[in-house]
Amino acid sequence: MQPETRQKIEALFEQYPEKRGALLPAIYLVQAEQGWVSAEQAEALAELFDLKPIDVWEVLTFYNMFYTSPQGRHHVYVCTNLPCSLRGARGLLKQIEAHLGIRAGQTTEDGRVTLGHEECLGSCGTAPVLRVDGRYCENVDAQEARRLVDALE
Amino acid sequence: MPRVKIDGTEYEVEDGRTILQALDDLGLLMNGVDVPHYCWHPKLPVDGSCRLCQVEVDDIPKLQIACNTPIRDGMEVRTQSDRVADARRGVMELLLVNHPLDCPICDQAGECKLQDYAFDYGVKHARTRDPRRPAQKAVELGPEIVFDQERCILCRRCVRFCRDVTGTAELGVFQRGDESLLETFPGKPLDNAYSMNVADICPVGALTTRDFRFKIRVWFLDDVDSVCNQCSNGCNISAGRAHNNVYRFTPRRNDDVNDTWMCDAGRLSYPALREGRLETAQLRGRSVAFNEAVAAAGAALRETREAGGRIVGIGSPFAPNEDLFTLRELLGAVGAGPGLFSVPLGAGDDILIKPEKAPNAAGARALGFVESGDVGDAALAIVLGHAAAGDALSSVENVILIDTHDSALASRAMVALPARTFAERAGTFTNHAKRVQRFLPFLEPRFEAWAEGDILTRLAASAGLDTDAWDVNAVSKRLSQEVPAFEGIDLDSVGDRGLELR
Ligand code: SF4
Ligand code: SF4
Ligand code: FES
Repeated sequence: MQPETRQKIEALFEQYPEKRGALLPAIYLVQAEQGWVSAEQAEALAELFDLKPIDVWEVLTFYNMFYTSPQGRHHVYVCTNLPCSLRGARGLLKQIEAHLGIRAGQTTEDGRVTLGHEECLGSCGTAPVLRVDGRYCENVDAQEARRLVDALE
Repeated sequence: MPRVKIDGTEYEVEDGRTILQALDDLGLLMNGVDVPHYCWHPKLPVDGSCRLCQVEVDDIPKLQIACNTPIRDGMEVRTQSDRVADARRGVMELLLVNHPLDCPICDQAGECKLQDYAFDYGVKHARTRDPRRPAQKAVELGPEIVFDQERCILCRRCVRFCRDVTGTAELGVFQRGDESLLETFPGKPLDNAYSMNVADICPVGALTTRDFRFKIRVWFLDDVDSVCNQCSNGCNISAGRAHNNVYRFTPRRNDDVNDTWMCDAGRLSYPALREGRLETAQLRGRSVAFNEAVAAAGAALRETREAGGRIVGIGSPFAPNEDLFTLRELLGAVGAGPGLFSVPLGAGDDILIKPEKAPNAAGARALGFVESGDVGDAALAIVLGHAAAGDALSSVENVILIDTHDSALASRAMVALPARTFAERAGTFTNHAKRVQRFLPFLEPRFEAWAEGDILTRLAASAGLDTDAWDVNAVSKRLSQEVPAFEGIDLDSVGDRGLELR
C-alpha cells in the first residue's frame, strides 16, 4: 500500500463513528492503485483497521465492484437478474462472449476488456442493463452492445 | 428467574438465555425437545444463518429462530406444530438444493445432522431442474483437515471456531448468495493446535480429518468415556473403539474442563496405545514368563529389605491415582521414604494445552510424591514408567521397572514388567485444577500386562508383605478414606464429569 493511500485512509477514519465503517471507501482507494486488490494489500488494510485479513477478504469478495485478480483496462458487466433476463440479458451476454472470444469472468488476451455478469443493478425499468466502466447503459440490444464494446480503447 | 412454557410444560430458566440455550441448560435439547439446528453451537457465538431452529413464540405471526430469541417471563414456545414442521421441511429443501447427497461415500454418514434431519423432515424428491452448483472435492485446508466444498451448508460454525476460540481466523465465507464458498485466506492454511475440532462441529461431511477419513463407518464404533493423558488439562474424550482397536479420539463435553474441544496433539495420541509397547516381562534383558519375573523381583525386594539396603520408589505422573496409592502403601510397608517423580514439560497456551505433559502430576503431589530427591546410594528402585526416571538410575543395581512402553531402561533393569495403558484398565487422574476424573477401559491388552497397582500388589505379596487390602476396589475406597484430599472421591462417585480434590 502506498503511503499516500494510507494517509487518505487515515483521513477517512474521522468521518465514521467506527473505524470499521470506512472499510468500503478504503478498499476503493487501495484498488485505485493497480485496479485490483492483492492478498498483501488486504493484509495491510486489515492491520490498519485492526481486523483479521479474512474479514477484509470476505468484504472484498462479497461486493462485485471489488476485484481480487488483475483486470482488463475496461469492465463490461451484464445484469443477469430476473427482469434483465426476461428482457434477453442472457442471450446478450452470450453474444458479447462470442464477440470478444472470452467467457464471463475472463479478460481478453490483449488486456482490453474484462467481461462479467452481475446481479440487480437497480434499473429494471430499462432492462437489459449493462455496466461499462461504472457507467449504466440501458435498453441495450445486441447491436448497441457490440458498438459499446468496440468503442473501448 | 423467568418462567417459560415449552410445548405445554413450564420451566424456570436463567436470566438472559435464548430458547436454545435454555433447552441446553435444562438438558432437554434433542433429548426430549426436538429443535433441529445447524449453525447454533453451545460454545460458539450465535450466527442465525441456517434458519432451521424456527419455532412458534406466543402469538407472533412469523416463526422465530430459537437460537437468537431471548426468553421473556411468561413466554410460550411451541416446537412441534404443523407450521414449524412445514418450515423445517422448507429449510431442508433449500439446504439440499446444492448438496450432492453422496452419503454412500461420505464419512459423516451415520453421524450427520443433514442426513438425520433430511430423514425426519426432508422431501423425498428434488424439485430443482438446474444442475447443482459445481464445487471442489477433497480440498486440503491445512495439514489435518480435508474439505469437501460441495457438502458445505455454510453454517459458519468452523469460521466462528477459528475466530472466537482459537483467534486464528483462518476460515471465511467468500463471494455471496448462491456463489458463497468457505475458504481460507489466500496462501494461509488452516493450521493451529486445535484445527481438528472443526471436523467435530461441522454438522455435515464437509470437514473431515485426514486421520480418520475413510477408516471405518462410524456405526461400527462404540464410544467409551476416557480422559486424554497428554497434558495435565485432562480433556474429557470419547474413544471410538471397534475390534479391539481404537480408531479415533473425540472430545466429550465437560464445561468445567474442556467445553467441547480438545487439541490436535491429544487427538492424535492414540497410536501410542499400540506402538512401542513393552510386550513381555524381562529379567536382565531376557524375556521370561510374567510370574517368573514377579518372583525374581519379589525375592530381590525381600533380600534388600532384610539386608537393610535402601529402597526408593519412583512414581509416574502417567500412573493413575489408585496405582500411585498402592506404590505409596508398598513404600510405607518396606520403610522407604516418600516416592519421587518428575513431570515432562512443554509448551502451554491459555486455551486448553498445559505445560505439564502428563495427566496426573497433581494426583502424585496430592499423594505425597515429591519432585526433588536423590536416588544416590539406593540398592533397589521400584519404578513406574521410564519417562520420569531418566539417567538418575544408572547407579542403582536393582531396578524393578513397571512400564507400559519399551525403553532402554527396560533392557537394563533387573526386572521389567509390562503394564496396561489407561486404555486397558479403569482409574482416575487428577488434572491441573485438582479435578479427579475417571477413565474406563476400551481395549483388551494383546499380551500379558496388568495395571501397575496389580503388579505392585503381586510384587509385595511375593516379597512376603501383607497385601489383603490392596485389590483395586479396596484401594479406591481406602484412597478416599485415608488420604484427606481424596475424601469421598472414588471410582464410583467421580461419575463421568469428575470431582474436585478437597
Ligand atoms: S464446512 Fe461445515 S462447519 Fe464449516 S460452514 Fe460448511 S457446513 Fe458449516
Ligand atoms: S489440551 Fe492436553 S488434555 Fe486436552 S487434548 Fe490436548 S493434550 Fe490432551
Ligand atoms: S440454529 Fe438457529 S438459525 Fe441456525
